[in-house]
Amino acid sequence: MLKPSVLQPINDWIAKHYENSPGKMLIHTGIVGWVMSSAAQVFAIGINDTIPKKQKVFLIPQEIADAAVNILSFYAITQSCKSLASTLVRTGKLIPKCVANELKAKNLLDKCGDLGFNVLKNADLSADVAKKFKAFSNGIDFSATTLGAILSCNIVTPLARNYIAAKRQQASIAKLDAVENVPAKVTEKPFFARPTMVDFQGARFSTYGSGSGLKV
Amino acid sequence: MSISRITSTISHSVNGVSQRVVRAVPSVVVEGDKTNRAIAWVGEKLSSPHNRLILGVTALMSQPFIDLNNKKVDEQTRIVSAARTVAKIIAGTLTGFSVRYLSIKAIDAFSKLPEQINDTTKFKRLRTLFTPTSALNGVLKDLTQYKFAYGTYLSLGVMLFTNFLIDAPLTKVLTNVFLTGNIHGRGAIPTTINEAKSKRRDKNA
Repeated sequence: MLKPSVLQPINDWIAKHYENSPGKMLIHTGIVGWVMSSAAQVFAIGINDTIPKKQKVFLIPQEIADAAVNILSFYAITQSCKSLASTLVRTGKLIPKCVANELKAKNLLDKCGDLGFNVLKNADLSADVAKKFKAFSNGIDFSATTLGAILSCNIVTPLARNYIAAKRQQASIAKLDAVENVPAKVTEKPFFARPTMVDFQGARFSTYGSGSGLKV
Repeated sequence: MSISRITSTISHSVNGVSQRVVRAVPSVVVEGDKTNRAIAWVGEKLSSPHNRLILGVTALMSQPFIDLNNKKVDEQTRIVSAARTVAKIIAGTLTGFSVRYLSIKAIDAFSKLPEQINDTTKFKRLRTLFTPTSALNGVLKDLTQYKFAYGTYLSLGVMLFTNFLIDAPLTKVLTNVFLTGNIHGRGAIPTTINEAKSKRRDKNA
């Protein structure tokens, strides 16, 4: 036997969890990918110096909420499609002709559709038919997961995103309009009058000045 | 009520619903040999790079139209949003497919079975760097799905860099090209969809 590599624990973990399930791999890596790209978006907002701190406090939780909606929608839709398809195949509700023939010969067709029935484990298929069934099962797994991902990523998520972004835009526009309508809090004095400490303190809250106040 | 009782009740309910759904679906036997071969081929040959490509192509057929028909925003916002969406899809699909494909190839090169290594093999020690123990023992003979999974996880790490180095700049360039016709984004952005269409027509004339 060849010497195990330093990555053996990782190799064995991946072999244990993903060797027989392409759909599961697509879902898990999809979620990890979404989490990473969302984290990158949040990080990009955090390190962007042109965005004021006051806006970052709003944008970062919003980006996290956006990501949560995307990830939950992806997981819910894709996992549902995959689970349904793999259950139908496993219980014999969706099978290739060669498996149907063998189940018919063994009088097992009436068990098809029962959640406790597993075609691969309970039907004692011949080696050749079992191999074809596994390939069929993997193909259905991949197809169902991809269909779920298409529904989630290309239809549900864009609609949800547009709705959230439109609400965001409307709220921002309303906020801008409200700010423009607020009168200046600085009391107006004749230009020749010497300004007092109260005037300087009042200028801090002027809408024409920095809205964030003194940073010192 | 204990937690285990609650979880078993939920599990029992889910199973009940699942059983009803499975029984309601009619039985399907895939008769055609060609269809069965096609389904088996999909399971054996296709993986995350192809999944990404399919998602990209189907995205181009749906997302821009969703953006262009979003009545909650003004017309110019719709145009910019759609242009950016198309740019993101193209850049993301090209990068995503390439990185996944190359990562799986890399895993394939260094996850050989013991019987695949002979005297002429270069870098013998590295050739089993990603080979699982079950394959080193001779138990696991087919590593196809394993390589797809490992390569996909490896590509996620690579994409931490390519997202910023390739994806984002390429998206920006493509968005500029779609909106203004040049890579620098110089020029006016159309304010209506008809203006955008006539601009495109004038350019093609």
